[in-house]
Amino acid sequence: MAESARTLGDDPSLDASDEAVVQARDGGGMRSSRYVGGVLACVLAAMWLAGWYSGTSAQEMLSLTAWGVMLGGILALGGIGLTLCYGVLKFPNFAHGEFLTLGAYVTYGVVLAMPQSEPIWLFSFGWELILGLLLAAVVTAVVAIALDRLLYRPLRRHMSPLVLLAMASLGMEFLLRGIVYLIWGSDFHFYYSGRSNPALYLPLGLRLQADQLFVFALALVLVVALYWMLTHTRIGKAMRATADNPDLAQVRGINTEQVIAWTWSIGAGLAAIGGVMYGLASQLRPDMGFVLLLPLFAAVIMGGIGSAWGALVGSIIIGVAMQLTSAFLNPAYGPAVAFVLMVLVLLMRPQGLFAQR
Amino acid sequence: MPLLKVDSVTAGYGDTEILRGVSLVVEPREVVSIIGPNGAGKSTLMKTIFGLLHARQGSITFDGHEITRLPPYRIVRMGMCYVPQVSNVFTSLTVEENLEMGAFPAGKADQTESKERVFAMFPKLRQRRRQLAGKMSGGERQMVAMGSALMLDPKLLLLDEPTAALSPKLVDEIFERIARISESGVAVLMVEQNARQSLGMADRGYVLANGENRHEGTGRELLDDPNVGRLYLGG
Repeated sequence: MAESARTLGDDPSLDASDEAVVQARDGGGMRSSRYVGGVLACVLAAMWLAGWYSGTSAQEMLSLTAWGVMLGGILALGGIGLTLCYGVLKFPNFAHGEFLTLGAYVTYGVVLAMPQSEPIWLFSFGWELILGLLLAAVVTAVVAIALDRLLYRPLRRHMSPLVLLAMASLGMEFLLRGIVYLIWGSDFHFYYSGRSNPALYLPLGLRLQADQLFVFALALVLVVALYWMLTHTRIGKAMRATADNPDLAQVRGINTEQVIAWTWSIGAGLAAIGGVMYGLASQLRPDMGFVLLLPLFAAVIMGGIGSAWGALVGSIIIGVAMQLTSAFLNPAYGPAVAFVLMVLVLLMRPQGLFAQR
Repeated sequence: MPLLKVDSVTAGYGDTEILRGVSLVVEPREVVSIIGPNGAGKSTLMKTIFGLLHARQGSITFDGHEITRLPPYRIVRMGMCYVPQVSNVFTSLTVEENLEMGAFPAGKADQTESKERVFAMFPKLRQRRRQLAGKMSGGERQMVAMGSALMLDPKLLLLDEPTAALSPKLVDEIFERIARISESGVAVLMVEQNARQSLGMADRGYVLANGENRHEGTGRELLDDPNVGRLYLGG
């Protein structure tokens, strides 16, 4: 946009006109983030009331809201990787959902293989799950880098069109899911079947399991850590620079292939942890990543694709909306609810809530 | 020994050959200007020198090393920095972050010192250090871009049309900055459409036309050459 203004030729008033173009774009019939946020708040409030009206008690609605925030935290862990990959590599990675599945199942393998230790505090899990979690993040990151080297990098080098990269990643989604089916079968699993995880009684009549608190706290810590990394470390700034303008990043002496490898490992590692969290909060299913992929995309696009902050906010809105509507709709409609919200946002603000300029 | 030596380089995109055997040299601390009509291959030459485009034939040596097939991030580490004509700042990063990215290859070492050096050269950037580069005017962006390229204290700075699309007052200011950069000991190779002004400050110049060397000489000689004046300086 600014470039087009610059190529107009010797315009003595360029400084002023540049400014005017910026304003015209922001005001060009689109709603501000604040306006869209207000509309979303109203929609969520309406869902709340609808649930209440359909006979769910206010306390249960409050618990659903809290679960929604937790689900949002899980979605955010997956969504941040998706949005980072899109920012740097400029293609939607449909195989991202499988990073969640893979992470969850690698941890499951570790939990099965290790002797079961005593549960920590009020949680249902012991130290072996934490170990499995770390290992899963590493394994998934390695798988993501390997996929990039074997599949995406050759396509990138040949300047393949975006649709080819997107379809290749969709193929990978099915392949990885097939591998999970082959190794672990199609049954549902729990990390600790039979171990009780009673809900805690919290103020305001809120009922949450200790595991759910853990999921939310970990998601929050990881998101904050990532945000800090993107704004304060050299590699984080290089990731933002590469996402902003890959050609200029090369010109500035940034080894963009190295940045891409970092992006894959961080994105896949976070997704793997998100998958374990989801497995802990509900159950392990071979199609869990695929089921989560649609809400993930809805959250990321709603937040403004390429923006880590947008992925977080979008995920929490989608998570809360999916849980609230489950009070009066079949939960199977969850992805549909996510997409209706996404379309609503895009109609008001096509670049998403926190679009990068 | 010249700092940069381009020897009969051919390059292009796909089937189109744009450079057909171009040669030039830049001595240490020298300001060299390349002029020529649109489509002469000036920008292509810059990209080829910097490794963004591969030379098909010929060789490029920098500081005694062959750099013909090296990727840009290796060339940067050897002390050559490049300011592209357009999209030359990271619009979603702050001014300060843009400068830090200019020093990316140096790692964490002496960033503060380099930043101070650049702020001393472009005092306006110090006041605007926390502003997003995308919210700045064309002239300010050019300073951010040049400042970023100077963060590594290069031996040679390549400038691709640094005054394109700027108001006459800003053009003068940019040329003044280039003169100061040169005084600090950095060699400058620039492509310019403000041919008279750039030859006026250059030690030497080359006229490029149709992907080939047409004329060369000191800035004064080229300005005084009636052929150059008639064909390339607008009479």
